[in-house]
Amino acid sequence: MTPSSNLKAFADSITATTSPFRSYLSDLHRQYLPLTDGAVADYIPELALADPSWFGIAAATVDGQVFEVGDCDQTFTVQSISKAFVYGLALEDHGRDYVNSKVGVEPTGEAFNAIVLDEATNRPYNPMVNAGAIATADLIKGKDGTERLKRMLDMFSRYTGRSHDIHVPVFLSEKATGNRNRAIAYLMLNFGMVSDRIDETLDLYFQQCSILVTARDLSLMAATLANGGINPVTGDRALDQRYVQDVVSVMLTCGMYDSSGDWAYRVGMPAKSGVGGGITAVAPGKLGIGTFSPPLDAKGNSVRGIQVCQTLSQDFGLHPFNAAAPPRDLAAWINGSEGTNSW
Amino acid sequence: MPRVISIHSYRGGTGKSNLTANLATTVANQGYRVGVVDTDLPSPGIHNIFGLEPDRMAKTLNSYLWNEAEIEDGAYDVSQNLDLAQGGQLFLVPASSSADDIARILKDGYDVRRLNDGFRQLVKTLELDYLFIDTHPGLSKETFLTIAISHCLLLIVRPDKQDYQGAAVTLDVARQLNVKHVQIVLNKVLACLDPEALKQKVEEIYRVPVAGLFPLSEDIIKLASEGVFCVRHPEHSMTQEFQAVARRVMK
Repeated sequence: MTPSSNLKAFADSITATTSPFRSYLSDLHRQYLPLTDGAVADYIPELALADPSWFGIAAATVDGQVFEVGDCDQTFTVQSISKAFVYGLALEDHGRDYVNSKVGVEPTGEAFNAIVLDEATNRPYNPMVNAGAIATADLIKGKDGTERLKRMLDMFSRYTGRSHDIHVPVFLSEKATGNRNRAIAYLMLNFGMVSDRIDETLDLYFQQCSILVTARDLSLMAATLANGGINPVTGDRALDQRYVQDVVSVMLTCGMYDSSGDWAYRVGMPAKSGVGGGITAVAPGKLGIGTFSPPLDAKGNSVRGIQVCQTLSQDFGLHPFNAAAPPRDLAAWINGSEGTNSW
Repeated sequence: MPRVISIHSYRGGTGKSNLTANLATTVANQGYRVGVVDTDLPSPGIHNIFGLEPDRMAKTLNSYLWNEAEIEDGAYDVSQNLDLAQGGQLFLVPASSSADDIARILKDGYDVRRLNDGFRQLVKTLELDYLFIDTHPGLSKETFLTIAISHCLLLIVRPDKQDYQGAAVTLDVARQLNVKHVQIVLNKVLACLDPEALKQKVEEIYRVPVAGLFPLSEDIIKLASEGVFCVRHPEHSMTQEFQAVARRVMK
Protein backbone atom coordinates (compact mmCIF):
# COMPACT_ATOMS: atom_id res chain seq x y z
CA MET A 1 0.00 0.00 0.00
CA THR A 2 1.46 3.34 -0.99
CA PRO A 3 0.66 6.30 1.28
CA SER A 4 -2.16 7.54 -0.94
CA SER A 5 -3.53 4.22 -2.18
CA ASN A 6 -6.75 4.56 -0.20
CA LEU A 7 -7.35 8.01 -1.62
CA LYS A 8 -6.66 6.75 -5.12
CA ALA A 9 -8.90 3.69 -4.76
CA PHE A 10 -11.81 5.70 -3.42
CA ALA A 11 -11.30 8.49 -5.96
CA ASP A 12 -11.24 5.87 -8.73
CA SER A 13 -14.55 4.43 -7.54
CA ILE A 14 -16.03 7.93 -7.60
CA THR A 15 -14.72 8.76 -11.08
CA ALA A 16 -16.13 5.41 -12.27
CA THR A 17 -19.48 6.58 -10.88
CA THR A 18 -19.30 9.91 -12.70
CA SER A 19 -17.79 8.70 -15.99
CA PRO A 20 -19.69 9.13 -19.27
CA PHE A 21 -19.63 5.36 -19.76
CA ARG A 22 -21.57 4.86 -16.55
CA SER A 23 -24.03 7.54 -17.65
CA TYR A 24 -24.44 5.55 -20.83
CA LEU A 25 -25.10 2.36 -18.83
CA SER A 26 -27.53 4.30 -16.68
CA ASP A 27 -29.46 5.31 -19.81
CA LEU A 28 -29.53 1.66 -20.95
CA HIS A 29 -30.91 0.71 -17.56
CA ARG A 30 -33.61 3.34 -17.83
CA GLN A 31 -34.40 2.28 -21.40
CA TYR A 32 -34.82 -1.42 -20.67
CA LEU A 33 -36.27 -1.35 -17.15
CA PRO A 34 -39.85 -1.01 -18.53
CA LEU A 35 -39.46 -4.25 -20.55
CA THR A 36 -41.90 -6.73 -19.05
CA ASP A 37 -41.42 -9.64 -21.47
CA GLY A 38 -40.31 -13.01 -20.20
CA ALA A 39 -40.98 -14.94 -17.04
CA VAL A 40 -39.03 -15.69 -13.90
CA ALA A 41 -37.87 -19.33 -13.71
CA ASP A 42 -40.20 -21.31 -11.47
CA TYR A 43 -39.18 -24.97 -11.82
CA ILE A 44 -38.19 -24.77 -8.17
CA PRO A 45 -40.08 -22.48 -5.76
CA GLU A 46 -36.96 -20.63 -4.54
CA LEU A 47 -36.25 -19.18 -7.99
CA ALA A 48 -39.87 -18.02 -8.37
CA LEU A 49 -39.32 -15.69 -5.40
CA ALA A 50 -37.12 -13.42 -7.53
CA ASP A 51 -38.49 -9.90 -8.07
CA PRO A 52 -39.00 -9.42 -11.83
CA SER A 53 -38.07 -5.74 -11.49
CA TRP A 54 -34.53 -6.49 -10.26
CA PHE A 55 -32.14 -5.17 -12.88
CA GLY A 56 -28.42 -4.60 -12.60
CA ILE A 57 -25.79 -3.78 -15.22
CA ALA A 58 -22.08 -3.93 -14.37
CA ALA A 59 -19.05 -3.58 -16.60
CA ALA A 60 -15.41 -4.05 -15.60
CA THR A 61 -12.51 -3.03 -17.79
CA VAL A 62 -9.28 -4.98 -18.17
CA ASP A 63 -7.54 -2.22 -16.25
CA GLY A 64 -9.83 -2.71 -13.29
CA GLN A 65 -12.41 0.06 -13.48
CA VAL A 66 -15.87 -1.16 -12.48
CA PHE A 67 -19.08 0.58 -13.56
CA GLU A 68 -22.34 -0.37 -11.89
CA VAL A 69 -25.93 0.66 -12.46
CA GLY A 70 -29.04 -0.63 -10.70
CA ASP A 71 -29.20 -3.78 -8.60
CA CYS A 72 -25.55 -4.77 -8.77
CA ASP A 73 -25.30 -5.90 -5.14
CA GLN A 74 -28.38 -8.14 -5.23
CA THR A 75 -27.27 -11.78 -4.94
CA PHE A 76 -28.77 -14.57 -7.02
CA THR A 77 -27.76 -18.10 -7.89
CA VAL A 78 -25.19 -18.40 -10.64
CA GLN A 79 -26.85 -21.51 -12.16
CA SER A 80 -25.51 -22.46 -15.61
CA ILE A 81 -23.02 -19.60 -15.69
CA SER A 82 -20.91 -21.73 -13.35
CA LYS A 83 -20.47 -24.31 -16.11
CA ALA A 84 -18.01 -22.19 -18.12
CA PHE A 85 -15.81 -21.46 -15.13
CA VAL A 86 -15.83 -25.01 -13.72
CA TYR A 87 -14.80 -26.15 -17.21
CA GLY A 88 -11.72 -23.94 -16.80
CA LEU A 89 -10.93 -25.57 -13.46
CA ALA A 90 -11.29 -29.05 -15.01
CA LEU A 91 -8.84 -28.03 -17.76
CA GLU A 92 -6.36 -26.91 -15.10
CA ASP A 93 -6.84 -30.18 -13.20
CA HIS A 94 -6.36 -32.53 -16.15
CA GLY A 95 -5.14 -30.70 -19.24
CA ARG A 96 -6.90 -30.22 -22.55
CA ASP A 97 -6.50 -33.69 -24.05
CA TYR A 98 -7.97 -35.59 -21.14
CA VAL A 99 -10.86 -33.17 -20.69
CA ASN A 100 -11.60 -33.35 -24.42
CA SER A 101 -11.75 -37.12 -24.17
CA LYS A 102 -14.56 -36.77 -21.61
CA VAL A 103 -16.52 -33.75 -22.92
CA GLY A 104 -16.81 -32.46 -26.49
CA VAL A 105 -16.95 -28.85 -27.66
CA GLU A 106 -19.71 -29.16 -30.25
CA PRO A 107 -22.93 -27.13 -29.99
CA THR A 108 -26.01 -29.37 -29.90
CA GLY A 109 -29.01 -27.35 -30.92
CA GLU A 110 -30.78 -29.47 -28.31
CA ALA A 111 -32.27 -28.14 -25.07
CA PHE A 112 -29.77 -27.73 -22.24
CA ASN A 113 -31.25 -30.66 -20.32
CA ALA A 114 -31.49 -33.09 -23.25
CA ILE A 115 -30.52 -36.66 -22.48
CA VAL A 116 -28.20 -37.10 -25.42
CA LEU A 117 -24.58 -38.14 -25.91
CA ASP A 118 -22.36 -38.22 -29.00
CA GLU A 119 -23.04 -41.68 -30.44
CA ALA A 120 -19.55 -42.18 -31.79
CA THR A 121 -17.66 -41.32 -28.60
CA ASN A 122 -20.33 -41.46 -25.87
CA ARG A 123 -19.18 -38.00 -24.77
CA PRO A 124 -21.62 -35.28 -23.88
CA TYR A 125 -21.57 -32.71 -26.67
CA ASN A 126 -20.18 -29.75 -24.74
CA PRO A 127 -19.58 -28.51 -21.18
CA MET A 128 -22.52 -26.09 -21.26
CA VAL A 129 -25.34 -28.64 -21.55
CA ASN A 130 -26.23 -30.38 -18.29
CA ALA A 131 -24.67 -33.68 -19.36
CA GLY A 132 -21.37 -32.00 -20.19
CA ALA A 133 -21.46 -29.90 -17.03
CA ILE A 134 -21.98 -32.99 -14.85
CA ALA A 135 -19.13 -34.79 -16.64
CA THR A 136 -17.01 -31.65 -16.08
CA ALA A 137 -17.92 -31.45 -12.38
CA ASP A 138 -16.89 -35.10 -12.13
CA LEU A 139 -13.39 -34.08 -13.25
CA ILE A 140 -12.86 -31.61 -10.39
CA LYS A 141 -10.16 -32.99 -8.14
CA GLY A 142 -10.38 -33.36 -4.37
CA LYS A 143 -10.37 -36.10 -1.78
CA ASP A 144 -14.08 -35.67 -0.99
CA GLY A 145 -17.11 -33.55 -1.81
CA THR A 146 -16.16 -30.90 0.72
CA GLU A 147 -12.71 -30.37 -0.70
CA ARG A 148 -13.99 -30.35 -4.26
CA LEU A 149 -16.62 -27.76 -3.40
CA LYS A 150 -14.04 -25.65 -1.57
CA ARG A 151 -11.81 -25.73 -4.64
CA MET A 152 -14.73 -24.46 -6.74
CA LEU A 153 -15.60 -21.71 -4.27
CA ASP A 154 -11.95 -20.66 -4.08
CA MET A 155 -11.86 -20.48 -7.85
CA PHE A 156 -14.90 -18.17 -7.93
CA SER A 157 -13.25 -16.01 -5.27
CA ARG A 158 -10.21 -15.57 -7.48
CA TYR A 159 -12.47 -14.40 -10.32
CA THR A 160 -14.51 -12.00 -8.20
CA GLY A 161 -12.20 -10.95 -5.37
CA ARG A 162 -14.66 -11.88 -2.64
CA SER A 163 -15.77 -15.05 -0.87
CA HIS A 164 -18.84 -16.96 -2.02
CA ASP A 165 -21.55 -19.02 -0.36
CA ILE A 166 -24.12 -21.56 -1.47
CA HIS A 167 -27.83 -20.75 -1.35
CA VAL A 168 -28.79 -23.84 0.66
CA PRO A 169 -32.56 -23.90 -0.10
CA VAL A 170 -31.85 -23.69 -3.85
CA PHE A 171 -29.26 -26.45 -3.57
CA LEU A 172 -31.67 -28.73 -1.65
CA SER A 173 -34.49 -28.02 -4.09
CA GLU A 174 -32.30 -28.68 -7.12
CA LYS A 175 -31.15 -31.89 -5.48
CA ALA A 176 -34.68 -32.98 -4.57
CA THR A 177 -36.03 -32.38 -8.07
CA GLY A 178 -32.91 -33.32 -10.03
CA ASN A 179 -33.97 -36.74 -11.30
CA ARG A 180 -33.38 -35.84 -14.91
CA ASN A 181 -29.80 -34.84 -14.10
CA ARG A 182 -29.44 -38.04 -12.07
CA ALA A 183 -30.59 -40.01 -15.12
CA ILE A 184 -28.06 -38.22 -17.31
CA ALA A 185 -25.29 -39.00 -14.81
CA TYR A 186 -26.19 -42.70 -14.69
CA LEU A 187 -26.34 -42.87 -18.48
CA MET A 188 -22.80 -41.49 -18.60
CA LEU A 189 -21.70 -43.90 -15.86
CA ASN A 190 -23.09 -46.70 -17.98
CA PHE A 191 -20.75 -45.66 -20.81
CA GLY A 192 -17.81 -45.21 -18.43
CA MET A 193 -17.66 -41.46 -19.07
CA VAL A 194 -17.85 -40.46 -15.41
CA SER A 195 -16.45 -41.95 -12.22
CA ASP A 196 -18.69 -43.90 -9.87
CA ARG A 197 -18.85 -41.19 -7.19
CA ILE A 198 -22.16 -40.19 -8.75
CA ASP A 199 -23.94 -38.85 -5.68
CA GLU A 200 -20.97 -36.76 -4.65
CA THR A 201 -20.55 -35.34 -8.15
CA LEU A 202 -24.27 -34.57 -8.51
CA ASP A 203 -24.23 -32.79 -5.15
CA LEU A 204 -21.25 -30.84 -6.36
CA TYR A 205 -23.04 -29.96 -9.59
CA PHE A 206 -26.19 -28.81 -7.73
CA GLN A 207 -23.99 -26.83 -5.35
CA GLN A 208 -22.03 -25.10 -8.11
CA CYS A 209 -25.34 -23.97 -9.61
CA SER A 210 -26.43 -22.61 -6.21
CA ILE A 211 -23.43 -20.33 -5.65
CA LEU A 212 -24.53 -16.78 -4.92
CA VAL A 213 -23.19 -14.02 -7.14
CA THR A 214 -24.03 -10.44 -8.12
CA ALA A 215 -24.00 -8.60 -11.45
CA ARG A 216 -20.76 -7.01 -10.29
CA ASP A 217 -19.27 -10.48 -9.75
CA LEU A 218 -20.32 -11.53 -13.25
CA SER A 219 -18.66 -8.46 -14.76
CA LEU A 220 -15.42 -9.26 -12.93
CA MET A 221 -15.56 -12.92 -13.96
CA ALA A 222 -15.92 -11.87 -17.60
CA ALA A 223 -13.28 -9.15 -17.22
CA THR A 224 -10.87 -11.74 -15.81
CA LEU A 225 -11.33 -13.84 -18.94
CA ALA A 226 -11.06 -10.69 -21.10
CA ASN A 227 -7.79 -9.98 -19.27
CA GLY A 228 -6.19 -13.36 -20.01
CA GLY A 229 -7.17 -15.03 -16.75
CA ILE A 230 -6.00 -12.38 -14.29
CA ASN A 231 -8.56 -10.53 -12.17
CA PRO A 232 -7.98 -6.91 -13.21
CA VAL A 233 -8.88 -5.52 -9.79
CA THR A 234 -6.98 -7.85 -7.46
CA GLY A 235 -4.25 -8.94 -9.87
CA ASP A 236 -4.83 -12.59 -8.84
CA ARG A 237 -4.71 -15.25 -11.50
CA ALA A 238 -8.02 -17.10 -11.68
CA LEU A 239 -7.34 -19.29 -14.73
CA ASP A 240 -4.17 -20.62 -16.35
CA GLN A 241 -3.66 -18.43 -19.41
CA ARG A 242 -3.38 -21.51 -21.64
CA TYR A 243 -7.05 -22.31 -21.04
CA VAL A 244 -8.64 -18.87 -21.31
CA GLN A 245 -9.19 -19.33 -25.03
CA ASP A 246 -10.77 -22.77 -24.44
CA VAL A 247 -13.30 -21.40 -21.97
CA VAL A 248 -14.16 -18.33 -24.02
CA SER A 249 -14.54 -20.41 -27.19
CA VAL A 250 -17.15 -22.74 -25.72
CA MET A 251 -18.94 -19.69 -24.33
CA LEU A 252 -19.15 -18.32 -27.87
CA THR A 253 -20.39 -21.55 -29.46
CA CYS A 254 -22.55 -22.97 -26.65
CA GLY A 255 -22.97 -20.34 -23.93
CA MET A 256 -26.47 -19.07 -24.61
CA TYR A 257 -28.32 -22.41 -24.61
CA ASP A 258 -29.82 -23.16 -28.01
CA SER A 259 -29.89 -19.54 -29.10
CA SER A 260 -26.08 -19.44 -29.20
CA GLY A 261 -26.02 -19.10 -32.97
CA ASP A 262 -28.39 -16.17 -32.93
CA TRP A 263 -26.39 -14.60 -30.11
CA ALA A 264 -23.09 -15.02 -32.02
CA TYR A 265 -24.71 -13.34 -35.00
CA ARG A 266 -26.32 -10.42 -33.17
CA VAL A 267 -24.07 -9.82 -30.16
CA GLY A 268 -20.91 -11.79 -30.73
CA MET A 269 -19.42 -11.39 -27.28
CA PRO A 270 -18.76 -14.87 -25.86
CA ALA A 271 -21.24 -15.16 -23.02
CA LYS A 272 -22.91 -17.51 -20.57
CA SER A 273 -26.36 -17.15 -19.11
CA GLY A 274 -28.10 -18.77 -16.16
CA VAL A 275 -31.76 -19.26 -15.22
CA GLY A 276 -31.17 -17.13 -12.12
CA GLY A 277 -31.25 -14.16 -14.52
CA GLY A 278 -27.53 -13.55 -14.94
CA ILE A 279 -25.45 -13.13 -18.08
CA THR A 280 -21.69 -12.79 -18.16
CA ALA A 281 -20.22 -11.54 -21.46
CA VAL A 282 -16.58 -11.20 -22.52
CA ALA A 283 -15.12 -8.54 -24.82
CA PRO A 284 -11.55 -9.92 -25.01
CA GLY A 285 -8.87 -7.35 -24.25
CA LYS A 286 -11.51 -4.75 -23.41
CA LEU A 287 -14.04 -5.51 -20.72
CA GLY A 288 -16.38 -7.90 -19.01
CA ILE A 289 -20.10 -7.34 -18.68
CA GLY A 290 -22.40 -8.73 -16.03
CA THR A 291 -26.18 -8.30 -16.18
CA PHE A 292 -28.87 -9.45 -13.81
CA SER A 293 -32.61 -9.45 -14.49
CA PRO A 294 -34.70 -12.52 -13.62
CA PRO A 295 -37.36 -12.61 -16.40
CA LEU A 296 -36.23 -15.13 -19.04
CA ASP A 297 -37.20 -15.65 -22.65
CA ALA A 298 -38.40 -19.04 -23.97
CA LYS A 299 -34.79 -20.21 -24.41
CA GLY A 300 -33.91 -19.42 -20.80
CA ASN A 301 -31.90 -16.23 -21.31
CA SER A 302 -32.53 -12.97 -19.43
CA VAL A 303 -34.67 -10.69 -21.60
CA ARG A 304 -33.21 -7.40 -20.38
CA GLY A 305 -29.70 -8.88 -20.28
CA ILE A 306 -29.90 -9.79 -23.98
CA GLN A 307 -30.98 -6.25 -24.90
CA VAL A 308 -28.20 -4.67 -22.84
CA CYS A 309 -25.49 -6.89 -24.32
CA GLN A 310 -26.77 -6.41 -27.86
CA THR A 311 -26.93 -2.62 -27.57
CA LEU A 312 -23.53 -2.39 -25.92
CA SER A 313 -22.04 -4.59 -28.61
CA GLN A 314 -23.50 -2.47 -31.41
CA ASP A 315 -22.71 0.92 -29.87
CA PHE A 316 -19.11 0.14 -28.95
CA GLY A 317 -18.25 -2.44 -31.64
CA LEU A 318 -17.70 -5.26 -29.13
CA HIS A 319 -18.51 -8.06 -31.59
CA PRO A 320 -15.17 -9.84 -32.06
CA PHE A 321 -15.64 -9.91 -35.83
CA ASN A 322 -16.50 -6.26 -36.10
CA ALA A 323 -13.92 -4.40 -38.17
CA ALA A 324 -15.88 -1.21 -38.81
CA ALA A 325 -15.47 1.89 -36.68
CA PRO A 326 -18.12 1.65 -33.98
CA PRO A 327 -20.57 4.51 -33.34
CA ARG A 328 -18.88 5.16 -29.98
CA ASP A 329 -15.25 4.89 -28.95
CA LEU A 330 -15.04 2.82 -25.76
CA ALA A 331 -11.82 4.36 -24.44
CA ALA A 332 -13.12 7.90 -24.88
CA TRP A 333 -16.35 7.09 -23.06
CA ILE A 334 -14.58 5.35 -20.22
CA ASN A 335 -11.85 7.91 -19.71
CA GLY A 336 -13.86 11.05 -20.42
CA SER A 337 -12.63 13.21 -17.57
CA GLU A 338 -15.60 15.52 -17.28
CA GLY A 339 -18.49 13.15 -17.00
CA THR A 340 -20.99 15.98 -16.83
CA ASN A 341 -20.16 16.95 -20.41
CA SER A 342 -22.25 14.00 -21.54
CA TRP A 343 -25.28 15.22 -19.55
CA MET B 1 -24.18 22.48 -21.82
CA PRO B 2 -25.24 22.69 -18.16
CA ARG B 3 -22.62 23.78 -15.69
CA VAL B 4 -22.17 22.22 -12.25
CA ILE B 5 -20.75 24.28 -9.39
CA SER B 6 -20.04 22.82 -5.94
CA ILE B 7 -19.50 24.90 -2.86
CA HIS B 8 -17.44 23.19 -0.25
CA SER B 9 -15.51 23.81 2.92
CA TYR B 10 -13.50 21.54 5.13
CA ARG B 11 -14.99 22.85 8.33
CA GLY B 12 -18.47 23.94 9.34
CA GLY B 13 -19.74 27.47 9.79
CA THR B 14 -17.77 28.92 6.92
CA GLY B 15 -20.84 30.26 5.10
CA LYS B 16 -21.33 27.60 2.43
CA SER B 17 -25.11 27.80 2.35
CA ASN B 18 -25.14 31.58 2.27
CA LEU B 19 -22.62 31.73 -0.55
CA THR B 20 -24.50 29.00 -2.46
CA ALA B 21 -27.83 30.80 -2.11
CA ASN B 22 -26.44 34.16 -3.13
CA LEU B 23 -24.49 32.85 -6.12
CA ALA B 24 -27.42 30.76 -7.35
CA THR B 25 -29.78 33.72 -7.00
CA THR B 26 -27.34 36.05 -8.75
CA VAL B 27 -27.04 33.64 -11.68
CA ALA B 28 -30.81 33.00 -11.87
CA ASN B 29 -31.38 36.77 -11.84
CA GLN B 30 -29.56 36.93 -15.17
CA GLY B 31 -32.35 34.91 -16.76
CA TYR B 32 -31.02 31.38 -16.28
CA ARG B 33 -32.68 28.22 -15.02
CA VAL B 34 -30.79 27.29 -11.87
CA GLY B 35 -31.00 24.29 -9.58
CA VAL B 36 -29.69 24.07 -6.02
CA VAL B 37 -29.31 20.72 -4.26
CA ASP B 38 -28.70 20.49 -0.53
CA THR B 39 -26.45 17.44 -0.14
CA ASP B 40 -25.75 18.34 3.46
CA LEU B 41 -27.83 15.36 4.58
CA PRO B 42 -26.61 15.29 8.21
CA SER B 43 -27.22 19.01 8.76
CA PRO B 44 -29.43 20.52 6.06
CA GLY B 45 -30.35 24.17 6.18
CA ILE B 46 -30.27 26.08 2.90
CA HIS B 47 -34.09 25.81 2.58
CA ASN B 48 -34.30 28.40 5.41
CA ILE B 49 -32.40 30.95 3.37
CA PHE B 50 -34.72 30.43 0.40
CA GLY B 51 -37.78 30.72 2.64
CA LEU B 52 -38.98 27.15 2.08
CA GLU B 53 -40.77 25.88 5.18
CA PRO B 54 -40.21 22.21 6.17
CA ASP B 55 -43.98 21.58 6.17
CA ARG B 56 -44.03 22.40 2.44
CA MET B 57 -41.24 19.90 1.74
CA ALA B 58 -43.33 16.76 1.19
CA LYS B 59 -40.54 15.24 -0.89
CA THR B 60 -36.86 15.86 -0.38
CA LEU B 61 -33.51 14.62 -1.63
CA ASN B 62 -33.88 11.90 1.00
CA SER B 63 -37.09 10.61 -0.64
CA TYR B 64 -35.21 10.27 -3.91
CA LEU B 65 -32.22 8.53 -2.34
CA TRP B 66 -34.59 6.06 -0.68
CA ASN B 67 -36.28 5.24 -3.98
CA GLU B 68 -39.53 6.82 -2.81
CA ALA B 69 -39.70 9.58 -5.42
CA GLU B 70 -38.10 10.97 -8.53
CA ILE B 71 -35.60 13.72 -7.77
CA GLU B 72 -37.67 16.35 -9.61
CA ASP B 73 -40.58 15.58 -7.23
CA GLY B 74 -38.41 17.07 -4.50
CA ALA B 75 -37.55 20.22 -6.48
CA TYR B 76 -39.35 23.39 -5.34
CA ASP B 77 -39.59 26.52 -7.43
CA VAL B 78 -38.59 29.26 -4.98
CA SER B 79 -38.32 32.00 -7.63
CA GLN B 80 -41.21 34.02 -6.20
CA ASN B 81 -39.25 34.53 -2.95
CA LEU B 82 -36.37 36.04 -4.89
CA ASP B 83 -37.87 38.74 -7.18
CA LEU B 84 -36.01 37.21 -10.11
CA ALA B 85 -35.60 39.04 -13.41
CA GLN B 86 -37.56 37.91 -16.45
CA GLY B 87 -36.84 34.31 -17.49
CA GLY B 88 -34.89 33.38 -14.40
CA GLN B 89 -36.03 30.44 -12.32
CA LEU B 90 -34.57 28.81 -9.24
CA PHE B 91 -35.41 25.29 -8.07
CA LEU B 92 -34.31 23.98 -4.69
CA VAL B 93 -34.00 20.30 -3.81
CA PRO B 94 -33.84 20.40 -0.02
CA ALA B 95 -32.65 17.65 2.30
CA SER B 96 -35.00 16.54 5.02
CA SER B 97 -34.53 18.29 8.36
CA SER B 98 -36.53 15.72 10.31
CA ALA B 99 -34.42 14.06 13.02
CA ASP B 100 -35.80 10.66 12.06
CA ASP B 101 -34.81 11.09 8.41
CA ILE B 102 -31.33 12.26 9.36
CA ALA B 103 -30.98 9.25 11.64
CA ARG B 104 -32.08 6.99 8.80
CA ILE B 105 -29.40 8.42 6.51
CA LEU B 106 -26.77 7.92 9.20
CA LYS B 107 -28.00 4.42 10.02
CA ASP B 108 -28.57 3.02 6.54
CA GLY B 109 -26.44 5.26 4.34
CA TYR B 110 -27.43 5.62 0.69
CA ASP B 111 -26.14 4.73 -2.75
CA VAL B 112 -23.79 7.43 -3.98
CA ARG B 113 -24.38 6.24 -7.56
CA ARG B 114 -28.04 7.10 -7.20
CA LEU B 115 -27.06 10.60 -6.08
CA ASN B 116 -24.97 11.00 -9.22
CA ASP B 117 -27.82 9.75 -11.42
CA GLY B 118 -30.17 12.13 -9.61
CA PHE B 119 -28.07 15.19 -10.41
CA ARG B 120 -28.07 14.18 -14.04
CA GLN B 121 -31.79 13.51 -14.11
CA LEU B 122 -32.53 16.84 -12.41
CA VAL B 123 -30.47 18.79 -14.92
CA LYS B 124 -32.25 17.01 -17.78
CA THR B 125 -35.85 17.16 -16.61
CA LEU B 126 -35.75 20.76 -15.38
CA GLU B 127 -33.55 21.84 -18.32
CA LEU B 128 -31.15 23.57 -16.00
CA ASP B 129 -28.42 25.90 -17.17
CA TYR B 130 -26.63 25.79 -13.81
CA LEU B 131 -26.62 23.34 -10.93
CA PHE B 132 -25.28 24.51 -7.56
CA ILE B 133 -24.50 21.92 -4.92
CA ASP B 134 -24.33 22.80 -1.24
CA THR B 135 -22.27 20.23 0.66
CA HIS B 136 -21.67 18.87 4.12
CA PRO B 137 -18.44 20.15 5.67
CA GLY B 138 -15.42 17.88 5.55
CA LEU B 139 -14.89 14.91 3.29
CA SER B 140 -17.48 12.23 2.72
CA LYS B 141 -18.67 10.19 -0.23
CA GLU B 142 -21.08 12.94 -1.28
CA THR B 143 -18.33 15.55 -1.22
CA PHE B 144 -16.06 13.29 -3.26
CA LEU B 145 -18.88 12.82 -5.74
CA THR B 146 -19.84 16.47 -5.98
CA ILE B 147 -16.20 17.49 -6.35
CA ALA B 148 -15.79 14.92 -9.14
CA ILE B 149 -18.77 16.13 -11.18
CA SER B 150 -18.08 19.85 -10.75
CA HIS B 151 -17.02 22.08 -13.60
CA CYS B 152 -16.05 24.49 -10.90
CA LEU B 153 -15.32 23.81 -7.24
CA LEU B 154 -15.52 26.74 -4.86
CA LEU B 155 -13.63 26.17 -1.66
CA ILE B 156 -14.54 28.50 1.21
CA VAL B 157 -11.70 29.32 3.55
CA ARG B 158 -11.60 31.55 6.60
CA PRO B 159 -8.21 32.99 7.34
CA ASP B 160 -7.20 30.64 10.16
CA LYS B 161 -4.85 27.71 10.52
CA GLN B 162 -7.43 24.94 10.68
CA ASP B 163 -9.16 26.14 7.52
CA TYR B 164 -5.84 26.48 5.71
CA GLN B 165 -4.93 22.92 6.58
CA GLY B 166 -8.37 21.65 5.55
CA ALA B 167 -8.12 23.46 2.21
CA ALA B 168 -4.85 21.66 1.48
CA VAL B 169 -6.49 18.29 2.16
CA THR B 170 -9.49 19.11 -0.03
CA LEU B 171 -7.21 20.26 -2.86
CA ASP B 172 -5.37 16.91 -2.69
CA VAL B 173 -8.71 15.19 -3.18
CA ALA B 174 -9.76 17.52 -5.99
CA ARG B 175 -6.50 16.81 -7.84
CA GLN B 176 -7.02 13.07 -7.45
CA LEU B 177 -10.51 13.53 -8.91
CA ASN B 178 -9.12 15.49 -11.87
CA VAL B 179 -11.13 18.63 -11.15
CA LYS B 180 -9.79 21.32 -13.43
CA HIS B 181 -11.31 24.47 -12.02
CA VAL B 182 -10.94 25.07 -8.32
CA GLN B 183 -11.26 28.54 -6.83
CA ILE B 184 -11.01 29.72 -3.26
CA VAL B 185 -13.44 32.12 -1.63
CA LEU B 186 -12.13 33.85 1.48
CA ASN B 187 -14.89 34.51 3.96
CA LYS B 188 -15.25 36.15 7.38
CA VAL B 189 -12.07 38.11 6.86
CA LEU B 190 -11.39 40.42 9.80
CA ALA B 191 -11.23 44.13 9.08
CA CYS B 192 -7.66 44.34 10.45
CA LEU B 193 -6.30 42.15 7.60
CA ASP B 194 -5.14 43.65 4.30
CA PRO B 195 -7.41 41.93 1.73
CA GLU B 196 -5.06 42.24 -1.25
CA ALA B 197 -2.07 40.90 0.65
CA LEU B 198 -4.14 38.01 2.01
CA LYS B 199 -5.43 37.15 -1.46
CA GLN B 200 -1.92 37.10 -2.87
CA LYS B 201 -0.60 34.95 -0.07
CA VAL B 202 -3.38 32.38 -0.43
CA GLU B 203 -2.93 32.20 -4.21
CA GLU B 204 0.78 31.68 -3.76
CA ILE B 205 0.42 28.91 -1.19
CA TYR B 206 -2.31 26.92 -2.94
CA ARG B 207 -1.70 27.88 -6.58
CA VAL B 208 -5.45 28.31 -6.89
CA PRO B 209 -7.14 31.61 -7.83
CA VAL B 210 -9.11 33.48 -5.20
CA ALA B 211 -12.55 34.14 -6.65
CA GLY B 212 -13.73 36.53 -3.98
CA LEU B 213 -13.17 37.89 -0.52
CA PHE B 214 -15.88 38.67 2.00
CA PRO B 215 -15.41 40.53 5.26
CA LEU B 216 -16.81 39.28 8.54
CA SER B 217 -20.21 40.91 8.12
CA GLU B 218 -22.64 41.98 10.79
CA ASP B 219 -25.18 42.65 8.05
CA ILE B 220 -25.22 39.05 6.91
CA ILE B 221 -25.27 37.76 10.49
CA LYS B 222 -28.30 39.98 11.20
CA LEU B 223 -30.12 38.41 8.28
CA ALA B 224 -29.05 35.08 9.74
CA SER B 225 -30.58 32.38 7.62
CA GLU B 226 -33.73 34.20 6.64
CA GLY B 227 -33.68 35.53 3.15
CA VAL B 228 -31.04 35.80 0.48
CA PHE B 229 -28.70 38.71 1.19
CA CYS B 230 -28.31 39.92 -2.39
CA VAL B 231 -32.11 40.19 -2.73
CA ARG B 232 -32.49 42.18 0.47
CA HIS B 233 -29.46 44.43 -0.12
CA PRO B 234 -29.04 44.81 -3.88
CA GLU B 235 -26.75 47.82 -3.56
CA HIS B 236 -24.50 46.47 -0.79
CA SER B 237 -20.78 45.98 -1.51
CA MET B 238 -21.11 42.32 -0.58
CA THR B 239 -23.77 41.88 -3.25
CA GLN B 240 -21.30 43.30 -5.75
CA GLU B 241 -18.72 40.77 -4.58
CA PHE B 242 -21.28 37.94 -5.02
CA GLN B 243 -21.79 39.19 -8.57
CA ALA B 244 -18.04 39.17 -9.18
CA VAL B 245 -17.73 35.58 -7.94
CA ALA B 246 -20.76 34.56 -10.01
CA ARG B 247 -19.13 35.98 -13.15
CA ARG B 248 -16.02 33.88 -12.46
CA VAL B 249 -17.86 30.60 -11.90
CA MET B 250 -20.05 31.14 -14.97
CA LYS B 251 -17.06 31.34 -17.29
